[in-house]
Amino acid sequence: MIEGVLRAGTYEWEVPVGFVPNMRVPGRFFLSEDLGNTLEAGAVQQLANVATLPGIVKNALAMPDIHWGYGFPIGGVAAFDMTEGVISPGGVGFDINCGVRLVASPLTADDLAGTKRRLIEEIFQAVPTGVGARSSIRLSNKDLTGMMTDGTRWCVDHGYGMESDLAHSEEGGAMENADPDAVSAKARQRGLPQAGTLGAGNHFLEIQVVREILDPAAAAAMGITEGQVCFMIHCGSRGLGHQVCTDHLKVLEKATKKYGISLPDRQLACAPVDSPEGRSYFGAMACAANYAWANRQIIMHEVRRVLTTIFDVAYEDLKLVYDVAHNVAKYETHQVDGRQQEVCVHRKGATRAFGPGAPDIPQAYAAVGQPVIIPGSMGTSSYLLRGTEIAMNRSFGSTCHGAGRVLSRSQAKKEVTGKELREQLAKEGIYVRAHHDSVLAEEAPGAYKPSDEVVRVVDRVGLSTLVARLEPQGVIKG
Amino acid sequence: MTFEELYHTADVLVRVRGASINEVFADAARALFSVMYGDCEDGGIVQTLTLEADDRESLLHDFLSELLFITDVENVVFCSFDVEVRDGDLSVVMRGEPFEHEKHSGGTIVKGISYSGLQIVKDDETYEVDVLFDV
Repeated sequence: MIEGVLRAGTYEWEVPVGFVPNMRVPGRFFLSEDLGNTLEAGAVQQLANVATLPGIVKNALAMPDIHWGYGFPIGGVAAFDMTEGVISPGGVGFDINCGVRLVASPLTADDLAGTKRRLIEEIFQAVPTGVGARSSIRLSNKDLTGMMTDGTRWCVDHGYGMESDLAHSEEGGAMENADPDAVSAKARQRGLPQAGTLGAGNHFLEIQVVREILDPAAAAAMGITEGQVCFMIHCGSRGLGHQVCTDHLKVLEKATKKYGISLPDRQLACAPVDSPEGRSYFGAMACAANYAWANRQIIMHEVRRVLTTIFDVAYEDLKLVYDVAHNVAKYETHQVDGRQQEVCVHRKGATRAFGPGAPDIPQAYAAVGQPVIIPGSMGTSSYLLRGTEIAMNRSFGSTCHGAGRVLSRSQAKKEVTGKELREQLAKEGIYVRAHHDSVLAEEAPGAYKPSDEVVRVVDRVGLSTLVARLEPQGVIKG
Repeated sequence: MTFEELYHTADVLVRVRGASINEVFADAARALFSVMYGDCEDGGIVQTLTLEADDRESLLHDFLSELLFITDVENVVFCSFDVEVRDGDLSVVMRGEPFEHEKHSGGTIVKGISYSGLQIVKDDETYEVDVLFDV
């Protein structure tokens, strides 16, 4: 383990006050010995930096997929007091509400025999992907405002989904307090042609099969059965969200000086939660988050449409299990030192994991807790988990978000070529489609921590518990 | 090329060196486009841009962020930059070609330019800066 970090439990580590100057609270992170070998000193330093921010409540936290980012570490979670605390785009990232959704179908693995390739090719045609992707949807500025304020609701009202989709998403697919006036003309200009596009980098769309049920009662509540075909969609708020982050970073840079906040990293630029600059960022961020939910909803609509043309399935039978955000800040109420306190929770590369009975969970999942969807790296298993009471008490209702990289993109490209990887996955029965093979290599499974080990740690600690394991059958890479 | 990629697991970190501040800005921009699109040629597109900022780091950050905006909305790939950095502002002439799916899809989208570690240092006659692109 990195020098200066203290063991606090089997899977828990403490970064004591003093690790970097001006820490207000200790940092805490969850990691196994195995994953400890991949931990970067830069990530721990970034966690300690978060602990210096004004109004931080309890601890700066990181999940077992902790790794070196900018501002917050990836896998970072921190809650801030609503009066003393701050809000920072460095705790959310450029890709606001990058997230993932899981769609369950009535099909089984056998139904894919002989049609998998056609299915992937038709979805690839229907969903614009990669660098420079443009939407086939023509949006007016009024439509875009609707998307930014109403998220999934806008989509359902405009024929891109059904009423039951709304409840099966974090925040019902739209955050409150979205303020379109805080979104620049530049951000709008980028958002207009990109609605319903997957993007590039680590974004993907996968066909998966449920291979293992680990919690039969929770799986039943979520409508998941062994052998079932599912779809996983991973993407975010595209250029609109990137521009919102860029615009408000500039404003908050100035605000940091105005409010006399000293920072160890400029990317942590921030303002009091309840200041004009803080509220403006929150309002714009909520717009980008809602746009991201609309984006994933439109992509899901396209997948449903393709499925109904190829298979004998009805649109209504393709059910949204749940949709979670990975990069977002929220006003939430949590139990702090024995009393209920409203806080501004930042999750950067972390997933909300509310336990049974918590607010904002649909009736169907009230008894089992919120579904948590953890995508694997390309070609490896993804997992469905559920939120827990332990997460509510230990991590402001948060858990990990994915595997976390261990190799840089250029290192990954040296290990394997995109063509080799595509052929290797094809031998395992996984059909991969992308505009260019070169984009595959940097997302090779070997470039990531094993997702099995990351979810094992959150399951053991109890931040969320395993429900089902899904294996990829086909992948569309952004 | 007068930029090199440094080790960073999640994102792309580049180190840019130049004999002048103008060169550093131009090469940081070339690095950005190289990460996003791979190779690029001068295809007859010429654009100009002027920007103001409080300090040189902010100027570099805003310059690269503006390029991300332009390439995203105008579908243009730039390959050369004549930059003139002054005290508190800059002007630049950019040359490039239209985005083509076949030619330019091998890279990755840069989502933003991070302020983390962004500091221009001068050592004897050489300027140097590390820039982190969120990808």
